[in-house]
Amino acid sequence: MTFQRPILWIHEEALGANNPALQAWPEAPAVFVFDTCWIQDARISRKRLGFLYENALDLPLTLRKGDVAAEVLAFARRHQADGVVSSSAVDPRLEQIGEAIDAELPLELLDPEPFVELPRPPRLGRFSRYWREAEAVVWEGYSAAR
Amino acid sequence: MPSAASPPINGDLPRQFASRDALNTLLAQEFPEAEGELSPIRGGREAAENKLRRIDARSYAKSRNHLNGAVTGLSPYIRHGVLSLPEVRDAVFARIRNRDEGGKLINELGWRDFWQRMWLDLGDGIHHDQEPFKTGHDAGAYSRELPADVRAGTTGLACMDGFRDQLVSTGWLHNHARMWMAAWLVHWRRVHWKAGADWFLEHLLDGDPASNHLSWQWVASTFSHKPYFFNRGNLERYSDGHFCDSCPSANSCPLEGSYDQLENRLFAPMPAIRETGNNRNQQRQRRSSGGASAALARPKR
Repeated sequence: MTFQRPILWIHEEALGANNPALQAWPEAPAVFVFDTCWIQDARISRKRLGFLYENALDLPLTLRKGDVAAEVLAFARRHQADGVVSSSAVDPRLEQIGEAIDAELPLELLDPEPFVELPRPPRLGRFSRYWREAEAVVWEGYSAAR
Repeated sequence: MPSAASPPINGDLPRQFASRDALNTLLAQEFPEAEGELSPIRGGREAAENKLRRIDARSYAKSRNHLNGAVTGLSPYIRHGVLSLPEVRDAVFARIRNRDEGGKLINELGWRDFWQRMWLDLGDGIHHDQEPFKTGHDAGAYSRELPADVRAGTTGLACMDGFRDQLVSTGWLHNHARMWMAAWLVHWRRVHWKAGADWFLEHLLDGDPASNHLSWQWVASTFSHKPYFFNRGNLERYSDGHFCDSCPSANSCPLEGSYDQLENRLFAPMPAIRETGNNRNQQRQRRSSGGASAALARPKR
């Protein structure tokens, strides 16, 4: 899927310059939205909001607050965007927000660089099982750099 | 500092602040329900890079279980993607002379990756007991509310009140302090792990639901084979006696005792577990072999 005029939705799992959406579309208007429902429901303290805010200020973002999907879609209309680009998220809350955006305007998700790429999904359940499969692959990067 | 690519309109939050106090004031206006003040720990790439430069993988491996050990403090930046896990991994690789030097720290990055994979796998399931408690107590025996004295930091235990104060004022706690506090709250105060885990997320700058909730479950035994607990000797050793010296409860400390004594006091008999001799012996060996091993194999939060 290729957009002509996308906007970027930057969320709280990827507030860094290595965000794949920012890297793919460095000139596109980008927005971060403070999720007021989450802040209220989870009693998020000001410390955490300030930390998110200071991270966001390092990036070329417009900052908003409110209902995240609604704000992202309004930001898209403001820029006559034909789509939204973001980074794939782990948090189901962010995934649901993405689905709500996608119901109105196409959303493309880009994957951040993985910590370790395994030939097949590792066995989870306990850390030791995962690490038995992942550790050697992680360290291949070290040997390669020697 | 970059500016937004988009000209501001009504309802955009400001990007320019004369000082950190001005940001604090803005947050108080815009988010009046969010309690407390800013953390002394700053967000942003520069703060993250300062911490990244100070990584010392060798010292980390030796001293990480001590409250004043050479831990990295990178978790808030990793959690929010300011630093990526591959970036931190490569920074560790660049600083070590051989694999042994970086083993422990790379292992901890592995924990972060593991928790994220678990979250993808379990979704909102992380909010529920993954397995039954192995404490001999039913899930219903644990209070669903965080006790008021814990929230206020007035329990009379210098260590726990101290951890609470650090959590609330800075939004960061050493992993060992998180584990002690979780174990004390769940096993001594008989509070359900979810009440404590949610409270931590109100405050932790690295507040990652997967790392946090599953680690609380690990302590509680709903995501492990047995409950994690500790004793006063362990806490005293890794906190350099800092809390006990000034603790009003020093002479009536509920954490005092051998691991066997505490196990008998805290947990009800679990016949199914006690009959499996091998497990039982392993458990004893690990717990009785001193303070170090009680913490070394524990997950990082």
